[in-house]
Amino acid sequence: MEHSDYVAPDGSWIKPEIFSDPALYEIEKQRVFGRSWLLLGHESQLPRPGSFIRTFMGEESVLMTRDRGGRIRAHLNACRHRGYQVCQEDRGVAHRFQCRYHGWTYDSDGSLAAVPGEASIYYNEIDKRQWGLAAVARVDTYKGLIFGNFDGDAPTLEEFLGDMAWYLDVILDRRAGGTELLGPQRWRIASNWKVVAENHCGDEYHVGFAHGSVFPELGANRATPLRYAREVRPAPGHGLGINIFPDNLTPWECLKLSAASNYPPHVRDYLLGIQDEVVARIGAQRARIDLIHGAVWPNFGLVPALNTIRIIQPRGVGEVEMWSYSIVDRDAPAEVKAWMSGLSVRTFGPAGSFEQDDAGNWSAVTHSSKGTEARKHRLSLQMGVGHEERSDRVPGELGMTASEINQRGFYLRWMREMFGEACK
Amino acid sequence: MITGMNGQDFTLLMRVEQWLYREARLLDDRRYDLWLELIDDKIRYRVPSRGCVRQGHVKDFSTWSVERELEVPDSLPLIDDDLTGLRDRIARLQTGMAWAETPPSISRRLVSNVMIMDVDEGGRLSVHSTLFLHKVRGDSRVIFTAERRDRLVPAGAGFRLQERYVVLDEVVLAADNLSLLF
Repeated sequence: MEHSDYVAPDGSWIKPEIFSDPALYEIEKQRVFGRSWLLLGHESQLPRPGSFIRTFMGEESVLMTRDRGGRIRAHLNACRHRGYQVCQEDRGVAHRFQCRYHGWTYDSDGSLAAVPGEASIYYNEIDKRQWGLAAVARVDTYKGLIFGNFDGDAPTLEEFLGDMAWYLDVILDRRAGGTELLGPQRWRIASNWKVVAENHCGDEYHVGFAHGSVFPELGANRATPLRYAREVRPAPGHGLGINIFPDNLTPWECLKLSAASNYPPHVRDYLLGIQDEVVARIGAQRARIDLIHGAVWPNFGLVPALNTIRIIQPRGVGEVEMWSYSIVDRDAPAEVKAWMSGLSVRTFGPAGSFEQDDAGNWSAVTHSSKGTEARKHRLSLQMGVGHEERSDRVPGELGMTASEINQRGFYLRWMREMFGEACK
Repeated sequence: MITGMNGQDFTLLMRVEQWLYREARLLDDRRYDLWLELIDDKIRYRVPSRGCVRQGHVKDFSTWSVERELEVPDSLPLIDDDLTGLRDRIARLQTGMAWAETPPSISRRLVSNVMIMDVDEGGRLSVHSTLFLHKVRGDSRVIFTAERRDRLVPAGAGFRLQERYVVLDEVVLAADNLSLLF
């Protein structure tokens, strides 16, 4: 099969095997997870020198540390002697990481600090400077979020995010103190990672139906476009669903039209109370933008409307490990943070009112993509083709809510990263 | 309590066990309406996330406690419901669009290792039990094991559940959702 048959030139269809072909997954490990900026975590998770977190880039275990000098480091979590993981814990505080196979010991900056038998059986001939943990080629932060990239020649994080950063600021930069992460909740789903990522990136269409239990009042109107909501594609592969509230609405009126409409009074008061600060930091225009859902290429999912972000960790071609966090304003009062993170748990945790019903959809899509007969048939992504728009208020291309503009971008980006196809 | 149980204690233990079996049966039978009648207005129903962390001091077994794994800084619970939360959870199942349970999973709960840990002056019981929950749905089959730490308050001839703290024996959940109650 020619790779040009995987995705339509305009993104309006895909072939099912991209969700289940092990050979494609092997290429993804190199060309997607080996070259993209991947979310590692948040600076709040490394509060002081010695703080560490064990995370993943693709399927590779990564040890992220704050070293003695306060610098954030990321290394492959693999001893340079035989490759055993030097850190087994999820998180903690340590400046020494000792391999439990032969005892090679590394410092929190990744350098090899001690080798048992260095004098007696290595004859002092081992140059420890050559055998530090393998550093992740690039580590950078964007307003609290920490990203890593295995590709030393990759574009900068800023270039990679492009106009997506303009939108991320709405949650990351609205307060001087920034944000912090709580979590993760972690669970396994028998789904290809792209099925989950494209859903975050652009699938507003499923909300009224797959999550119909949360919106019983919609009745027959489950696919009616929302008045102020739009799908937005800052660049192919990145996508968001947003509300763009008009200038004539007060912050209170905007709030009533957003997910915050049924927040309890103390949380609404908090959100209204920070409005001046938000406007001063990100401008009146962006203060009227409300992020609902989204994804940063390739596997960083967002549900900002419910204070949730997640990393969709691939675990082979047919499985993911969902790492779901709540993101809250660091300087918010404790009771506001508790309510905000509780909302994330109640909606997008594994027992959440939305999330419970998503996993079954994604595993069913993955399962049916394995069928020899099923693979002969294209899957439709044509919603809104040719109806993309631009706005003078926000960067990127817009579609209605719903539109498959962002999924088309996602799969065209996938083709570009995988096979170097021109990306529209 | 555990050593030297007298006849009265055994009667209480059997009443508690029968109450727990009945509760499990209601959940297996999907009688969430009758299950809610067993729940106290002040219910706090929690399932914490469990983390993989190092024990405090390797020579001191008291620092090897499960509690450390349940109290990882900045962690999020998997469930933290009050009565409203539980009622919303159950009302959602009745919309006909809660797809993870429409049609419903097949579940079987085994309750064992029941111990009355404490009875306070108000007659409230601290009860620990072990739950084995087998869930079948479509092609998938999931097993959960957990310790449940309950607070039961006397009510009529039986009890009401006022607190439940579920210690799941998982770090990364093997299940793709938590659509059932423990």
